[in-house]
Amino acid sequence: MKKLATLALVSTLATGAFAHSRVDTTTPENGAVIADVPTEISFNFAADIRLTRVDMTHQDHPSVRLDLGDQTSFDRVFTLPLQGMGEGTYRIEWRGLGVDGHAMQGAFTFTVD
Amino acid sequence: MLDIWGIAAILAKLMLYIGLAGSVGLVIIRTAFADLVSPVSDRIRTREALFAAFALVAAILGFMLRGAALTGGADGMTDPEMLGLLWQTPVGDVLVYRVAGTVLIIIGVFTPLVGQWIALAGGVIALWSFTQIGHVPELETTGVRLLLLLHLLGIAFWIGILGPLRTLSRRPEHLTSAATLGHRFGQAASLIVPGLILAGLLMAWLLLGDLRALVVTGYGQTLLIKLVLVGAVLTLAAANKLRFVPAMQAGDDNAARHLARSIEIETAVILVVLAATATLTSVLTLPS
Repeated sequence: MKKLATLALVSTLATGAFAHSRVDTTTPENGAVIADVPTEISFNFAADIRLTRVDMTHQDHPSVRLDLGDQTSFDRVFTLPLQGMGEGTYRIEWRGLGVDGHAMQGAFTFTVD
Repeated sequence: MLDIWGIAAILAKLMLYIGLAGSVGLVIIRTAFADLVSPVSDRIRTREALFAAFALVAAILGFMLRGAALTGGADGMTDPEMLGLLWQTPVGDVLVYRVAGTVLIIIGVFTPLVGQWIALAGGVIALWSFTQIGHVPELETTGVRLLLLLHLLGIAFWIGILGPLRTLSRRPEHLTSAATLGHRFGQAASLIVPGLILAGLLMAWLLLGDLRALVVTGYGQTLLIKLVLVGAVLTLAAANKLRFVPAMQAGDDNAARHLARSIEIETAVILVVLAATATLTSVLTLPS
């Protein structure tokens, strides 16, 4: 019904557009070289985002989809458990939705050595 | 980074631009120049409905493609969770405006008497959707939203004249109507086009901030390409107005053929302008 109300009030000017969200920091950091495989990874976004998909690729293995668990709401901080696959380079690719409706995506890598 | 979903999103947006500019433009032309376009009125109405249906499909496809962008796969296009998420954001509102607007245009085409006003209202609702999402709305200024709406109505008016004027120009029996239509459009355009350019430049300045960004950023460069192409279209339009239309008014059949050919070239360039705009509004981020 919200939509119908919006439609009926077509002359009413909507407000409150949001800027695109950017990933501020990740743990581990992008490009980090660490000694042990982390048990979890985390994202810290500049603005609220709803993560929709996170894939992990280890070395040449096929990518694995990470479980978002119950983190299915708009937030700035997300922490996901990571199933370690030993030494090597991990690439984490994420996709999400900003509150303004923009799809966003990004990636970071870290190496366990 | 431009993946397959990014390219598909640009194509869907281009389809939407063509469908909406085509249908709304024809509605405006049929309303503004009813007496002159009456010989091709039925043809125009059919085209209005077809362009509106094309825009409707493009709007729904664009919405579904946003779902695909969220999952990175075609499954996202029909994923109820992803589409439900999008529905709650301004993307959902925009879809409602576009579906309602295009459906009203189609209803208007088939409604006697008041139909063209229903279609016109539908056109404004559909175009208003562009003021709800994207770079310009992010400026959060009501004046700029209205400026964008006027810019879009002006573009639709321009695009709307192309088909009917070409059709009439190619029929020697309608040479007088074509010449008068070209003349009256030229008079209206000499007021509307400068406004269109001013509105476009003002929005570009608000978005970019300074002239350097026009050269050093991808967004600025694409905008520059768009401006050069718009310049080419303006040159063609000026030739039509100053050369071919006066010759047609003097009864020159050849000038009508030249005008029809010129309109075809103009249409091709406008399609490239729309493609550049779809790229600007889809994938390129504003210089910060």
